[in-house]
Amino acid sequence: MRQEIRDGRDVLSLAVPLHPISPSVPLEEVAELFLNPDYAKVLSLPVVDGGRPVGMISRYKFMDIYLKPYGRELHGKRPVSSYMVDKPLVVAHDQPLAEAALHVTQNMRFPLMEDFIITENGSYAGIGFVVDLLRAMELQLRSHTQELNDAYSRLKSSQLALVQSEKMASLGQMVAGIAHEINTPLGYVQNNVSMGQELFAQVQAMNDSYENLVDNLLDEGASEEQVSALMQKVAAMRSGTNAREMLQAMQGLMADSLYGIGQISELVLNLKNFSRMDAAATEAVSLNDCIESALNIGRNVLKNNNVEVIKDLGDLPRITCAPSQLNQVFLNLFTNAAQAMEGSGRLGIKTWAEDGAIMVAVQDNGKGIPAENLARIFDPFFTTKPVGQGTGLGLAITHQIIEQHGGEIRVESEVGAGTCFYIKLPTGSVAAREEADEASVATALAMLHAA
Amino acid sequence: MNKPTLLLIDDEERILRSLRMLFFTGYEVHMTTDPQEALRILREKQVHVIVSDQRMPEMQGSELLRQAREVSPATMRILLTGYSDIEASIASVNEGEVFRYLMKPWSAEEVKQVVAEAAAIAEASFAAAQHAPAAIAAASDKKPRVLIMDHDEATAKVVHEVLQDRCEIIWASDAQHAMEELAKQDISVVVSDLMLGDTNVGYILKTIKQINPQTQCIVVTSFNDTSRLVELINQAQISRYLPKPLSKSMLGRNLEYMLERFQTLCSMPVLQKRQSVAPIADPQEKQLSGNFASLLSRLRKVSV
Repeated sequence: MRQEIRDGRDVLSLAVPLHPISPSVPLEEVAELFLNPDYAKVLSLPVVDGGRPVGMISRYKFMDIYLKPYGRELHGKRPVSSYMVDKPLVVAHDQPLAEAALHVTQNMRFPLMEDFIITENGSYAGIGFVVDLLRAMELQLRSHTQELNDAYSRLKSSQLALVQSEKMASLGQMVAGIAHEINTPLGYVQNNVSMGQELFAQVQAMNDSYENLVDNLLDEGASEEQVSALMQKVAAMRSGTNAREMLQAMQGLMADSLYGIGQISELVLNLKNFSRMDAAATEAVSLNDCIESALNIGRNVLKNNNVEVIKDLGDLPRITCAPSQLNQVFLNLFTNAAQAMEGSGRLGIKTWAEDGAIMVAVQDNGKGIPAENLARIFDPFFTTKPVGQGTGLGLAITHQIIEQHGGEIRVESEVGAGTCFYIKLPTGSVAAREEADEASVATALAMLHAA
Repeated sequence: MNKPTLLLIDDEERILRSLRMLFFTGYEVHMTTDPQEALRILREKQVHVIVSDQRMPEMQGSELLRQAREVSPATMRILLTGYSDIEASIASVNEGEVFRYLMKPWSAEEVKQVVAEAAAIAEASFAAAQHAPAAIAAASDKKPRVLIMDHDEATAKVVHEVLQDRCEIIWASDAQHAMEELAKQDISVVVSDLMLGDTNVGYILKTIKQINPQTQCIVVTSFNDTSRLVELINQAQISRYLPKPLSKSMLGRNLEYMLERFQTLCSMPVLQKRQSVAPIADPQEKQLSGNFASLLSRLRKVSV
């Protein structure tokens, strides 16, 4: 506000402190004023009585009178009050510029014959020119536009950051889950290998003693004492450790270890497949593969929530899409479903192809979504999870990804019975995704505006 | 001499087989993937140490250990987990009252050493239970002392409301004051936030527990960090970890329980070993703890 006053952008700053005329002044004196070169720009003169504006006499009106035959003689001596407009256009000094402009433009007459009066607490403060007001408005609009642009770009970058943080949050959760899942096989593999190492040392020592004994037995020069000492040493070793049993057990543990290493490799492969960091951004894939990949990654969450997965995956044509994004969509739907199901739940995943489209249904028998929430679940930042547990962007991003693929996602839910998400993706070529990030920001912003 | 008995529970059999190999020479090893079976074994046999996984389909490890506490209180409880979620670690303190919280993959040497230590402690506990005094020596007339280490006055208020004048309540709102109070006199129960002003009080709690194992530490905090909590379990044997804002009834119940435990540990010192701590791992904390410990011993000598 202060800034505006200094910059001369409020109503008061437009006031030209023109000396007002009183209502009793004869018209001929007004004529003098209109002829004064200082008043050349002035369209009308203010008529003020006791500090209050009571009217306006316009140059147009004055000319109209004076240019008529004997106009001057007939009217010159009469007071201006008889000729003035008695409801002048008045703007208060503290009215916001936009409001003042609206008032003036709505009430001014065409052709423009009058200026407007500016009052300060009801008293005359000066007159204002409509052109000045419009110019001031234009300036203000221009600065507002700049502010809007700035706000837009700030919003855009924070939106980008949010979308990114949601991606990172779900990725982080997933990676943490996988890392922990790796810990179990890693635990026994590492333990087995370190015990194996110890056992090898023991067996080697034993073998050395055996060989030593055999060498001595074969050596004709060896004394009886030497041989019997070695025999005792071997006997002591044999009674100390049951090497045969240990080796047999270790053989089993080695098989376990190989199995564990297989598990670890599979987890790593799943991560690689899911992230598709080493693959092209878009490629022709079967959605069934995306679903399998998401199931592999989400297995941990599904297992911990005791979810039984029932798959009914049909024969699907490949579609050109961004698999890493669709993987994210499916993982998001599966983990949401797992979280919605308490106790042992059933997650049904069905895919099929129908006239030019691929259909996916993800059905859970969880607690369902109340009608008042159902309409909002794709809204950004809408979440029913406690603070800190969900960004409220998961389904918004899901929605956005599906839209960018030219598809549709919709949801049906019944409280207490469960929720089903339906995804429909066209089999035809999907818009190129080179500008994915730009587009996603625009969509996200559009969603923000809608929200 | 009989081998101590070790009970292993994990839903992955390969973990069990691997651990059995590690322990079968020194222990009578029982293992199962079924928590109910584990409880049955606990009822039927004298088990010295139970080592449980946390995430299992039928029952969480912390819950199994809570039930194990009831079935066989003298058995030492160890959690061995590959997951580090905060809920599990809080439950392992508050419900499982674990001796150690170990992570997968583990170091064979460390696990062996921890289990051996636990087995020796359990042995002593079982023996003590047999010769338990008919009645615990009457509590001394001295009022128990409760030290609050928290910048937040609300904590002090709740403790006052709960205990009123049954205890001597001391409120230290900075680390210096807290250490002075700890040096002056023995404290029954410490109620502490993790941060005291700018000071991370971890080393203070760890040092106190090294010197006075009978002192019970209740950590009250709004701060949730699994790795720090695990450290406090192993190196400070904190007794409870309560979230802020504090519920009066929850704090009351736990304070009551800890005051009672303090009395028990004073009259049966053999049980104090059950809360013996692992050495401090962080070098900086180790040094701080060393300084604090020597300050303590100097001050105490003077006051005696």
